[in-house]
This record gives sequence, structure tokens and C-alpha cells, in this order.
Amino acid sequence: MLSLWKTGTAAHRRYVIRTLAFMLPYMAICIAMMTTDAFDEIMGTPSAWLLAATVSAPVIGQIWATLSLMRESDEFVRAVTAKQFIVAAGLAMAAATFWGFGETFAGAPHLPAWLIYPLFWGAFGVVSPFIRDSNA
Amino acid sequence: MKNRLKLLRTEKGWTQADLGDRLGVSRQAVNALETEKHDPSLDLAYRIASLFERPVEDIFENPHG
Repeated sequence: MLSLWKTGTAAHRRYVIRTLAFMLPYMAICIAMMTTDAFDEIMGTPSAWLLAATVSAPVIGQIWATLSLMRESDEFVRAVTAKQFIVAAGLAMAAATFWGFGETFAGAPHLPAWLIYPLFWGAFGVVSPFIRDSNA
Repeated sequence: MKNRLKLLRTEKGWTQADLGDRLGVSRQAVNALETEKHDPSLDLAYRIASLFERPVEDIFENPHG
């Protein structure tokens, strides 16, 4: 993210700002959920659905930020970003499918479905340095 | 796609960023074109040809002919 800020275009810098704006509240909620009992009292109540909607809103925002980066960039950046996104999404979906079937048929321990999102961005971070050309 | 973009650019004494500014694309895009990591769209190819005042075929090698 830091290198994107230093070496990227103006569109890349706007993307970094938007990403931070969406990821920080998302991470704050996730960390609060995992490390405190702040949300325990709403468990099983309609407010829990509100929490679920609140934490998924930045996910939609981040997708918008990525689409904005593509719209505001030239054709090369647009093509490479799309390629990175597709590969990362494919890996995340493959991992989720693998684990889901592992849970159902092989007795793998249950993992919460929301992990797919950090898993996707983890995959995005891993594959991005290796996807530097727009050719298929 | 093989091309003579780097040669034409250096003849003009431009950096990749200079050429990018003139074409309205990023320096990364110019670098990708020069290193054959990006095949330009028809629109960008014509913009490049117009900038250097040459036919597209003088700059980009036709891979089909």
C-alpha cells in the first residue's frame, strides 16, 4: 500500500485513501468482535443483523473503490487490476470451497464464512507482485 | 507485441513519464508497452502513431502478417 502511494498514479493515491477509509472501520469492528465482548449482548437479537450489515457495508465500499481505480486509470492499469482481482477471487473461492467440503465430509473444524473477505485480500496481496502484465 | 516505441521515445529525448503525459497514460503503461507486457488497444495504438506522426505498422509489428 505504501509503495502504491509512492510510485502510483493519482488514481492509485485516491484508491489508497478510499481503501483506508473502508478498511479501517471494517477492521475496527472485526477486532472489537474478536477481542472484546462489546457485541455479546446483541447476539441472537435483530440488532445482530444490523451489525452484520454494518460490517459488510465497507466490503461493498471497497469493491466500489476498486472499480473507481479501474475507471480512473489507463487501460494497462485497468487490465492488470482486473487480472489480479480475478485470480485472487478464484483462489479465495477455491479455498472456501475446499474448506467447506472439508467441513461437510472430512470433519474439518468450522470456520466462519466472513473469513472469505480477508482471505480474498490476502490472496490479492500475494498474487499482485506476480501479475504485472496484461496479456492473458 | 514487438514495437519500436522505446527507440522512438529516446530519439525524442523523452522519459517514459514524458511520453505517458503526452499519451494520457501512466508511466507504468509506457513501460509495459515497451517491454511487451501490454498490447495496446486500437485507440492507444492510433494515439501513439499520431504522436510520432508515423503509421501504426511503423511502430508496432503486425503479429499476423
